[in-house]
Amino acid sequence: MGRGGATGTGSGTTGTGGNGTGTGGSGAGGATTGGAGGSSAGAGGSSGGAPPGGTPDGGAPDPCQGAAAETAPTTMQLLTREQYVNSVHDLLGADIDLEAVLPDAQDPATFGLVQGNVAQVDLENYLKAAETAAAASIATTAKLDALAPCAASTTDKRSCARTFVQTFGARIYRAPVTDAADIDRHLVVYDLGATTSYAHGIEMILRAMLQAPRFLYRAEPGTSERVAPHAVKLSSYEVASRLSYAVWNTMPDAKLTTAAASGALSTKDGVANELAWMLRDQRGAKVVRRFLEGWVHLSSAETVVKDKQLFPDWSVATFRTSLRTQAQTFFDEVLAAGSGTLSSLFTRQRSDGSGQGVLTLPAVLGVLATARESSPIYRGKFVREQLLCQELPAPPPNVPKPPDVPPGVSTREKFKQHDADPACSGCHRLMDPIGFGFENYDAIGRFRTVDNGAPVDASGEIIQTRDLDGKFTGIAELSQRLATSAEVEECTARQWFRFFLSRFEQSADKCSVQRIVNQLHAAGSDLNALPLSLVGTDAFLYRRPVDEVSP
Amino acid sequence: MNQPPRDLRTRLARRRLLQGVGSLAVLLTSPIWRPSTAFGQDAGAPAKKRFIGLFSPNGTIPSTFFPTGTAADAPLTLGAILAPLEKYRSRMLVLKGVHMSSANVPQPGGPHMKGPGAMLTGGKLLEGSFPGAGGPAGYADRISVDQHIANRIGTATTFRSLEFGVRVEGGGPLEIISYRDSNQPNTPVEDPWAMYNRIFANGNLSSTQLAKLIAERKGVLDFLKDDIARLKPRISASDRARLDAHLTGIGGIEQQLNQTKAACTPLTMPAKFDHKDIANFDKVSQLQIDLMVLAHACGLTQVSTLMWANADSWQYFPFAGVNEEHHTLSHSGDSDTAATDKLIKINAWHSGQVAYLLDKLAAATEVGGGSMLDNTVVLWGNELGVGNSHTYQNIPWVIAGGAGYFKMGRYLQYKDQNHNNLLVSICHAVGLTDTMTFGIPELCTGPLTGLT
Repeated sequence: MGRGGATGTGSGTTGTGGNGTGTGGSGAGGATTGGAGGSSAGAGGSSGGAPPGGTPDGGAPDPCQGAAAETAPTTMQLLTREQYVNSVHDLLGADIDLEAVLPDAQDPATFGLVQGNVAQVDLENYLKAAETAAAASIATTAKLDALAPCAASTTDKRSCARTFVQTFGARIYRAPVTDAADIDRHLVVYDLGATTSYAHGIEMILRAMLQAPRFLYRAEPGTSERVAPHAVKLSSYEVASRLSYAVWNTMPDAKLTTAAASGALSTKDGVANELAWMLRDQRGAKVVRRFLEGWVHLSSAETVVKDKQLFPDWSVATFRTSLRTQAQTFFDEVLAAGSGTLSSLFTRQRSDGSGQGVLTLPAVLGVLATARESSPIYRGKFVREQLLCQELPAPPPNVPKPPDVPPGVSTREKFKQHDADPACSGCHRLMDPIGFGFENYDAIGRFRTVDNGAPVDASGEIIQTRDLDGKFTGIAELSQRLATSAEVEECTARQWFRFFLSRFEQSADKCSVQRIVNQLHAAGSDLNALPLSLVGTDAFLYRRPVDEVSP
Repeated sequence: MNQPPRDLRTRLARRRLLQGVGSLAVLLTSPIWRPSTAFGQDAGAPAKKRFIGLFSPNGTIPSTFFPTGTAADAPLTLGAILAPLEKYRSRMLVLKGVHMSSANVPQPGGPHMKGPGAMLTGGKLLEGSFPGAGGPAGYADRISVDQHIANRIGTATTFRSLEFGVRVEGGGPLEIISYRDSNQPNTPVEDPWAMYNRIFANGNLSSTQLAKLIAERKGVLDFLKDDIARLKPRISASDRARLDAHLTGIGGIEQQLNQTKAACTPLTMPAKFDHKDIANFDKVSQLQIDLMVLAHACGLTQVSTLMWANADSWQYFPFAGVNEEHHTLSHSGDSDTAATDKLIKINAWHSGQVAYLLDKLAAATEVGGGSMLDNTVVLWGNELGVGNSHTYQNIPWVIAGGAGYFKMGRYLQYKDQNHNNLLVSICHAVGLTDTMTFGIPELCTGPLTGLT
């Protein structure tokens, strides 16, 4: 995409009202991700044994207490490119190189929430990837022996293949393979290759499994165990997949699968227990950072186009990567133990001395700009849509012709027309005046005091918010206000919901979202509290029965 | 044993293909081509129709694009933007007054975003998660005309259709014009080498090896279809629709495996260069056009589309003398003559690329005589009429070729017609005369009058 893309918005939103009322855990650290002991609120109420800083739920009342479990309809998710590659590596080894056969990674829409259906060209890519991975996996005797052992003396090679279908199948399909007819189907594919060799038979099974919809999609049929009129339990294996793809961005490992098999994931407490070690695992340690990166659409910094003459640095890939690294480092600093607060995200000094807060990161500001100039529109829109979760109205179909702008005026001057023309100002007054506050930063996020010969005027104004309205000057003052805003806090919870569940929140998720808001607030807005706050919700644990269309 | 990736295209050895095809020559003069031979149909059969859809972004400069005069039907004259197409003036139509009204129907998505989805579908965008004004947008809500045509005339070729892109950068609604169905985008392939591999794969296999590969792939596809059949009863209706889309994709691959009759002289692609580099835009464009025409000439497909960049594109055009960014330029005021001149150059550059395509089509001889251009309907559109007002009115439509159906060489001015009617006319031109409506039904009254 060629545009400043960090501007996702929500639809079908909950309209949850005011901020949570919890008061328990003030300050940092209260209920952090560890959730040691894991005694989060069981269905129907919170339990005792509060760790320091609040109750297990951070002191937040459970807004869902006493209400029938409820969750909105979900859509079967296709593994993202990254999830697909990670899963193949987990299954067959990290040396499987799929970069040459898969198309380039694309900037997903906000968290990749809503997916298109696959088309032929996508399936061709899966076919190529499957054949490549399968061939590499049986390339040597050692590899074959490790994957699908079969003693040389064995006369019944087919029984070895049968074992392989069950053991490897349980991994790749993320659920046990027990149905005899199902196993036989795989052996029909094996037979196609076994006329050549056992190895080729195994290769054929791999090709088939790696293209199977059961692998490519996360179908969640759920169980028949109804917990409420419109909610059934997910199977333990489905819960394990939800956890692992959200926290690790890859498939469940042996330990998590064992937990699923033991029934440990069938209760809220059990899920919280597993989450605790998953977050300590190195695959899970960066999950909140990954969320922040997606939230500000950090990957766009690598692809957004800048004018080569004006910004020669930007055309150098290592420069753009360094900006991305700088942002990641800052997020790590924010999320370090004891300081993972929203306030820290907006106001913390970066350790490299380059400024403070997320909004002055060049990787963020550079994306929120055109090729040559800052963009008050993109920047205001980002605050409005991403940080406040507000939805802007569409511009009219035929916007008035832009005025003729004399050359050499400041960006701010150019946008005055939006204010003067009532056809524009209706919407643009929701964006531009916020963006004007960013005018001290140019198209690649460098600080400036002069724009096109004119001194920068970074005075801005924000209107139509719950608790942020008023004039301000510069990003620092805006950031201070955002840092303590309940509206931002609630939006943070909603964005987390979208990130973790790969879908927009809907009215039936109201209670689940409110629970996240309450727990985030009770934890002193500690972002590290987000993972635990969500896994105890109805939206995470249940699904709507498959035969039910809508509430 | 770590084999190079194989592609899907199955391909017989050249000598087998030449048997029975005769001595039908296609004179293809691109640097990457050797003289080749047209395949894919029997001599004596009526000429096959073809459709090529083209997209360029950010609107036009109407005063330069559209000829002067108010006559509803006038001989075509070409201004500075279309001047590179002078050679084809008598084989072109320029239409004014044909609006992309389906982009104006209430729907999510930013003003640039709604255009590509509407252009060939006559429909609108679904809700989704691509950022845009008026709520986040998804993909288009129905099939596009190229795919409707492919469903009818594309079933006997290796590829139902091929979607090309030139630095489209992504797979969102800004970057898609071809839709297999609602919410089923045909993402363009923007890497010419990937497209080459796709079209001309497996040429190194013996016929025995190829037969084995086909049998194995068919076996796996049967397994996958069975997998879908087992899964469907357990999931929701909307998820079943996702698997139905998956099945149609599998059907397309099966079609590839069943069509093994065509191939072409092996080509030499130029040394790999960065197809995503802005400065290589023109080179990638020519390469993709070469590959597209070759795929048609070889009988591999009869339907294709090509997108130059994406809607809202920030492309620079140093090779056209414009070292500024397209989208920002397109928002300049009407009396900014410097910006207008640059936009004319950018749009004229695109005309030059269309001319390059038409040159190639005109140079390719069909089986049974005539040029490929004679049998091809080329439709060139844009996501907007004008960049600085975001209007969907007066989209700069160009039709070229014409498949012997349209009366060419004219400039036609309509009074507020929806482009849905144009899409119906396109169907008629390629022989689908029973298609009487396309896209959102309320916006369509039937084919445009006065085209034939």
